[in-house]
Amino acid sequence: MMRFRSIRFWLPLLLVAGTVLLAPLLRSSQPPLQSYTLALLLCGTAALSAYLFAVIAQPEKF
Amino acid sequence: MTTTTRVTFPRMPRGPRQERRYLERPHQQGLVGRAVVQAICKLDPRQAVGNPVMFVVWCGTALCLALSLEPRLLDAQAGPQERGFNALISLTLLATLLFANFAEALAEGRGKAQADALRRTQARTQARRQLSDGSIELVDSSDLRRGDLVLVEAGDVIPADGEVIAGVASVDESAITGESAPVLKEAGSDVAGSVTGGTRILSDQLTLRITADPGKGFIDRMIALVEGAERTKTPNEIALTVLLAVLTQVFLIAVATLPPVAGFLHQAPSVVTLVALLVALIPTTIGGLLSAIGIAGMDRVAQFNVIATSGRAVEACGDVNTLVLDKTGTITLGNRLAEEFLPVGGHSIAELAAVAFGASCFDQTPEGRSIVRLAEKLGAALPFAADSVAGIDFSARTRMSGSDTPDGIEYRKGAVDAIKGFVRSRGGAVPDALDTCFEQVSRLGGTPLAVCRGAEVFGVIYLKDIIKPGIRERFDQLRRMGIRTVMLTGDNPITAGVIAREAGVDDFIAEATPEDKIAVIQQEQKLGKLVAMTGDGSNDAPALAQANVGVAMNSGTQAAKEAANMVDLDSDPTKLIDIVTIGKQLLITRGALTTFSIANDIAKYFAILPALFSGVGLEALNVMRLASPQSAILSAMVFNALIIPALVPLALKGVKFRPLSAAQLLRRNLLVYGAGGVVAPFVGIKLIDLAIGALRLI
Repeated sequence: MMRFRSIRFWLPLLLVAGTVLLAPLLRSSQPPLQSYTLALLLCGTAALSAYLFAVIAQPEKF
Repeated sequence: MTTTTRVTFPRMPRGPRQERRYLERPHQQGLVGRAVVQAICKLDPRQAVGNPVMFVVWCGTALCLALSLEPRLLDAQAGPQERGFNALISLTLLATLLFANFAEALAEGRGKAQADALRRTQARTQARRQLSDGSIELVDSSDLRRGDLVLVEAGDVIPADGEVIAGVASVDESAITGESAPVLKEAGSDVAGSVTGGTRILSDQLTLRITADPGKGFIDRMIALVEGAERTKTPNEIALTVLLAVLTQVFLIAVATLPPVAGFLHQAPSVVTLVALLVALIPTTIGGLLSAIGIAGMDRVAQFNVIATSGRAVEACGDVNTLVLDKTGTITLGNRLAEEFLPVGGHSIAELAAVAFGASCFDQTPEGRSIVRLAEKLGAALPFAADSVAGIDFSARTRMSGSDTPDGIEYRKGAVDAIKGFVRSRGGAVPDALDTCFEQVSRLGGTPLAVCRGAEVFGVIYLKDIIKPGIRERFDQLRRMGIRTVMLTGDNPITAGVIAREAGVDDFIAEATPEDKIAVIQQEQKLGKLVAMTGDGSNDAPALAQANVGVAMNSGTQAAKEAANMVDLDSDPTKLIDIVTIGKQLLITRGALTTFSIANDIAKYFAILPALFSGVGLEALNVMRLASPQSAILSAMVFNALIIPALVPLALKGVKFRPLSAAQLLRRNLLVYGAGGVVAPFVGIKLIDLAIGALRLI
């Protein structure tokens, strides 16, 4: 149960899901490879930001 | 009344402190090699995620490496010519990660080397376990459990931590303390009643009750702590981690919003450039060195032969406001010596010497032995046959000791008040001259001991206290650091006042009982102060637990060691002052490097921002006249990477500590590390830029 509550579990999941959802929206202005990479970069940045918020909230866990 | 004979061996290792270190200094050979391997292993993202600043660098490195392999991943127009620049940035980012990992691995490696030194004291051995029917069986020491009874005799290695329940023997504790003089261990004694596994019994035999299960003994716990197995972040580290994470978050958001701004200005900075800007701005220097500084702090304490139970304890030392110190052994030399006999009530010096001899013949403390020596020197003889009398031990409650003869004659020596009470309780009278002698000795800073036989007072023994050389200067230093010193002593107020003035302590508690120690600590803590104290007896355990920093002597009881958060293997109470210095040094090092790291950002702004917006008139910001935008970015990145290994020695050794007030220290460190942190990168980045130009890397 603890595993599912860990940021290390759901953050990568969110990253993949975000990329899959965001990539089609970028398809209009980018070729397929670049749209997926750009979506991954945007989601990665958001995930990194979420991770930093988690560190700020619970520093003793990191 | 039973008599306990105590023989005290010299316990203090002699010579300069550098020469008395027991814990071996880490073997430098192989340490760097192992740290390099560990630095690579620490690239594992599961480990990297523990450090927010370096994890951001890790993500940036992964992104740049991907863009080095395929520059068109994000921009279909990107050409293969960008691959070289991307690869150079990736390599500098990788170097930044490796250098930070190396600093941490090096600090951990030094701790592990010390743990190995401790581990060598742990020999698996055969133990003679006593069964409930009294028979003996041979078992491996690892099979012993708490509560087991074992017999050990001359030549045996003590198989586990235990308490002596029968026998008297001398034990070689040099494996733990580095002190080669044997220590007497005996049943029923507070301090001498506990033994440590791994030490060797030199004479006679002991019956021990094991007090720790395998793997949970004193040495095992020390190994785990030195190795860092139980290392958790200290409150100060947690606060700094939050600050670094906040700064990283701010810079991440700032850099992420730059592309739209750049687009508005018809600029299109590459992702690698943005990653470089982010890494240059976030505090990678302190982020990379933070854990190394903490581990090195523990390491420095261990090199002083002090084992800290947590980094929190070391850190707390840096914030200590009040030191509670025992007079004897800490402020004065442990051995007070009898200097003079002062008779009262018409008695002669010879009569007083004889009664003092009778009251001290069972007292094996240095003071007791010095009284016997002085009496013998004056020609006194023991007034009874020694084998027919019972010795009376000193206690904190009665504050006297002596001998009882079979015909009911009581010889006593002790605190003047205690002897007065004793004499009056026997119907005797106290001569006025006793108070005069008491004041005379007290005003000399000596300890007056009254001597009586039954209801008759014979006089006073003048015990001379010798203040440790240099202790006044140490207290002056502590005062300049804003630390208050409180001396606790069982002496009367006049003697205590004289010693306190001579030693330069800020306050003193005379005629102190063990309860007074807790009261003083609680009183200081109520005022919001952090208190440090030393102790060795079981009666010190509550006060050691109550103090923010409790340092137990290794020669002390198990209870004291359990209650304290540090154990001094040399059993030297004055080391508390050194420990406080190390704690302060740890905090100052952390603060100085954080200041330096943040101050570095200014030069990096001037290097990277003009490069990022080279086409929109920001060239004026290129105050360093860097050769090209790409060279500017690469120079900033290389400086960012190289500054970490350059600061590793400082992180491990600690910033040189000066006994100044907090305000003076802050001013000095802001000047050295703040101003230095601003200037150094300007020089460094310019030099690297020139080197890049000369090597035609770009």
